[in-house]
Amino acid sequence: MDDLREIESTLEAVLFAAGDSVSLEKLSEIIGQDKKTTASILSGMEMKYKNSNRGIMLRQLGSKYQLCTKPEYEEYIAYLGTGRKKQGLSQAAYEVLAIIAYHQPVTRAHVEHIRGVNSDNVISTLLEKNLICEMGRQDGPGRPKLYGTTEEFLRVFGFSSINDLPQLGMNEIQVVMNDVPVD
Amino acid sequence: MRSELTSSLHDACTIKLNNFEGPFDLLFYLIEKNQIDIYDIPIFEITDQYMEYLFAMQEMDLEIASEFLVMASTLLHIKSRLLLPSRKEEEQEETDPREELIMKLVEYKKVKEFADILREREKIWDKVYYKLPEALPESAFEVILDVSPPLLKECYQRCMQNYYDRQNDVTQKMNRILRQEKVSLKLKIKELLAKLKRGVRLCFSQIYNLKNMSRIEVATGFLAALEIAKLGKATIHQKVEFGEIYIEPKIKRKG
Repeated sequence: MDDLREIESTLEAVLFAAGDSVSLEKLSEIIGQDKKTTASILSGMEMKYKNSNRGIMLRQLGSKYQLCTKPEYEEYIAYLGTGRKKQGLSQAAYEVLAIIAYHQPVTRAHVEHIRGVNSDNVISTLLEKNLICEMGRQDGPGRPKLYGTTEEFLRVFGFSSINDLPQLGMNEIQVVMNDVPVD
Repeated sequence: MRSELTSSLHDACTIKLNNFEGPFDLLFYLIEKNQIDIYDIPIFEITDQYMEYLFAMQEMDLEIASEFLVMASTLLHIKSRLLLPSRKEEEQEETDPREELIMKLVEYKKVKEFADILREREKIWDKVYYKLPEALPESAFEVILDVSPPLLKECYQRCMQNYYDRQNDVTQKMNRILRQEKVSLKLKIKELLAKLKRGVRLCFSQIYNLKNMSRIEVATGFLAALEIAKLGKATIHQKVEFGEIYIEPKIKRKG
């Protein structure tokens, strides 16, 4: 299978049939190319879907790929009456998610240190919604659990990977701290 | 009229107070309300306003979470440090007492900002639809095994050899243990007789005890003593139950 068009069609067919996200590993195995080549073909496809008059698009979710509809056609899809209404997250849940996303893998204690409030319930809600997951345990006293974000997190918030998160200027603090006037 | 006003005010305040996620959230609200530069917090004003809120909460019989009290004490501590004059020599090294609080607030501000970003992104990406995973037939992923009869035989033989090896291994170990543990009664009798030859009364516990011998050895030693008594070469005495056992050699009297 050498023809690029043929490969792209194959990937499209496979991804459509799967419905669920498919790993890069599996896809490269199917088309008989190495992972690097497959990844570049997929990112090419991503661009093509984006820039052409298609109702669907390709999404990268970590090391997996999935087909989905473009958000702008939501109002038409709504006529199908799928009627899904998800219950939104609380302000606390967004805050905890934000902390976990940037500091992962992170312990519950660290999350609470940053927020200044107990975050037990919020963490269990997020685990339930599969937005975060346990990522082993930290070495040290008590061996506390470490948490990180999931593929579902990327899916829900439209990121293609954790590296895709917007930079929040970590160095900014240090610079400004030096300018704090001492009275 | 007045009571009506107070009750509606009461309601408004209650809702507002309950909305704070924690002490940082409250502090943040105060900073934004007063349009203060986060890096240059007028600690006196903020502390006063913060305490006002806590008192309001107290008046309304709201349970104040301990986190709010911790923050209150932190604010008061910073305030007191700023009030106290510092010595000139120390002045240069001394850091702004507000520094730690500011660092935490900045960190919290970033979290809040990103939380808002997440909320906005969710709104957009909630409009995206996915297809449900297809229940694909299993055979699509079946791996066809390429096995010839000779290969199968070889695998079987190797597997059985491993099995036997493991078995043998265990037997060998067991033999070794048995060999080590083997204590013969005959040997013990000989050993004990040799000791009795000297014609001295023996204490059983001194010859055989669990401190430096195995249980089997002590038990066999005991059997040996009984055997010797039966042969009439010694007498055994025990004055108290569980007490010391004495083995006394029977000396053949001349004549």
